[in-house]
Amino acid sequence: MAAWQRRLQKELIEIQKKPPPGMHLDTDSVSSNLATWIIHVDGAPGTLYDGEKFQLEFKFGSRYPFESPEVVFGGSNIPVHPHVYSNGHICLSILTDDWSPALSVESVCLSIVSMLSSCQEKKLPPDNNWYVKTCNKNPKKTRWWYHDDTV
Amino acid sequence: MFKIQLKNDKLLKVWCHFLCKGFLVEMRGDQLLLPCGKTVKTMVARLPRICVFKMADDCSPSDVGRNYDEAIKVQVENIHKEIADMQSLVSEKMDICVLGKEYSADDYIYQSKIKDLALNYSHVRKTRGDGNCFYRAFGFAYMELLIGNQAEYDRFKNLASQSKDDLVSLGFPSFTVEDFYQVFMETIEDVGKHQCAEELLKTFQDEGLSNYIVVYLRLLTSAQLQRKSDFFENFIEGGRTTKEFCSQEVEPMARESDHIHIIALTDALGVCVRVVYVDRSGDSSVNHHDFPEDGSRPAVVLLYRPGHYDILYHKQL
Repeated sequence: MAAWQRRLQKELIEIQKKPPPGMHLDTDSVSSNLATWIIHVDGAPGTLYDGEKFQLEFKFGSRYPFESPEVVFGGSNIPVHPHVYSNGHICLSILTDDWSPALSVESVCLSIVSMLSSCQEKKLPPDNNWYVKTCNKNPKKTRWWYHDDTV
Repeated sequence: MFKIQLKNDKLLKVWCHFLCKGFLVEMRGDQLLLPCGKTVKTMVARLPRICVFKMADDCSPSDVGRNYDEAIKVQVENIHKEIADMQSLVSEKMDICVLGKEYSADDYIYQSKIKDLALNYSHVRKTRGDGNCFYRAFGFAYMELLIGNQAEYDRFKNLASQSKDDLVSLGFPSFTVEDFYQVFMETIEDVGKHQCAEELLKTFQDEGLSNYIVVYLRLLTSAQLQRKSDFFENFIEGGRTTKEFCSQEVEPMARESDHIHIIALTDALGVCVRVVYVDRSGDSSVNHHDFPEDGSRPAVVLLYRPGHYDILYHKQL
């Protein structure tokens, strides 16, 4: 087993043993080489997304954890949020530029939930149409500009 | 549009420099074509004169409307791969005179500074220019020093073995920290078994192991900044908190190190580092700075040239 798979196996055990509140791993979604996972996430109570259910799709490469996983919203319900494009791509700095090998699947999920929870108004990113038309399928191929952390 | 003409070995460096700052650069033979603009002009002006360049505006302006993201990403990835193929993570010990060959013979300032450097230092060990060079240079040089220095070894091993609990108590997730800690401690264990420098070099040249050590040193740096946040906050630019600074400028791989990182790491480990500067400033002699500046004897000496750290070795008298 390669180093990235050993690391993911550890994370897998950890997240099944102690799932963070409002999240659970879809064990059927985990591929045999551990490279793809789906995690179900509930919108946090008392926020604009209370009661909604979302899916986060994770893809890991062989350079994980030195390279970030590819993470997008999938399934039938994509959250309407100023940092989430309607194709499921997420504009969050830890997913590309600010990724650190000390982060994990769990910390990514927690950051995404916290991003949703701090939202004041449900609206699409201002450049949604242009982006969705021109972007690559892999959000990591986009050079993101992270200009507004307060939304 | 700017056109820069370069000697082949410098081309790659300059190309990378611009790409990493997010500019789309086209390479045509021995020429680089850069988009027009004030920023580019300033960057071109600041380039070290290791390359003779020409500017011209006889090229057609670039196509502004296109989404260049992918093209830039691919170019950056190729550059990183080419650098990796050309440069090992940590090199063999080389005679100090190799430095002179990196600059043209009539580059008066660099040539005289390197001559000055050679009065005190006999060898250099180069590290890969991948943004992790400070940590890698420091890590290797310090561990090499521990070989056969029992007292310092015992002190450091003791300090290092307690460091994981400190990191966890600061909120780093224990199961990710654990991986990096293990490799770090195994490397220290091996050093204690009177490993020779060649074996340590193998560890540092193995990307898997070497990067684990870099991550752990980054985490130790971050932890120290956060622990002494009241002090370090005064030096952080852009109105960021220490925590934000750490997650943006310390913990991610390939993020370059500044004085603040060096101060924090040397403080955390209780190791004095001397940084010798070779750049275009001042006269023909080199200057240095010790971290910390309290008169302790530097254990490790690093050579700094704009944007990069290598390891220096004192002349044996």
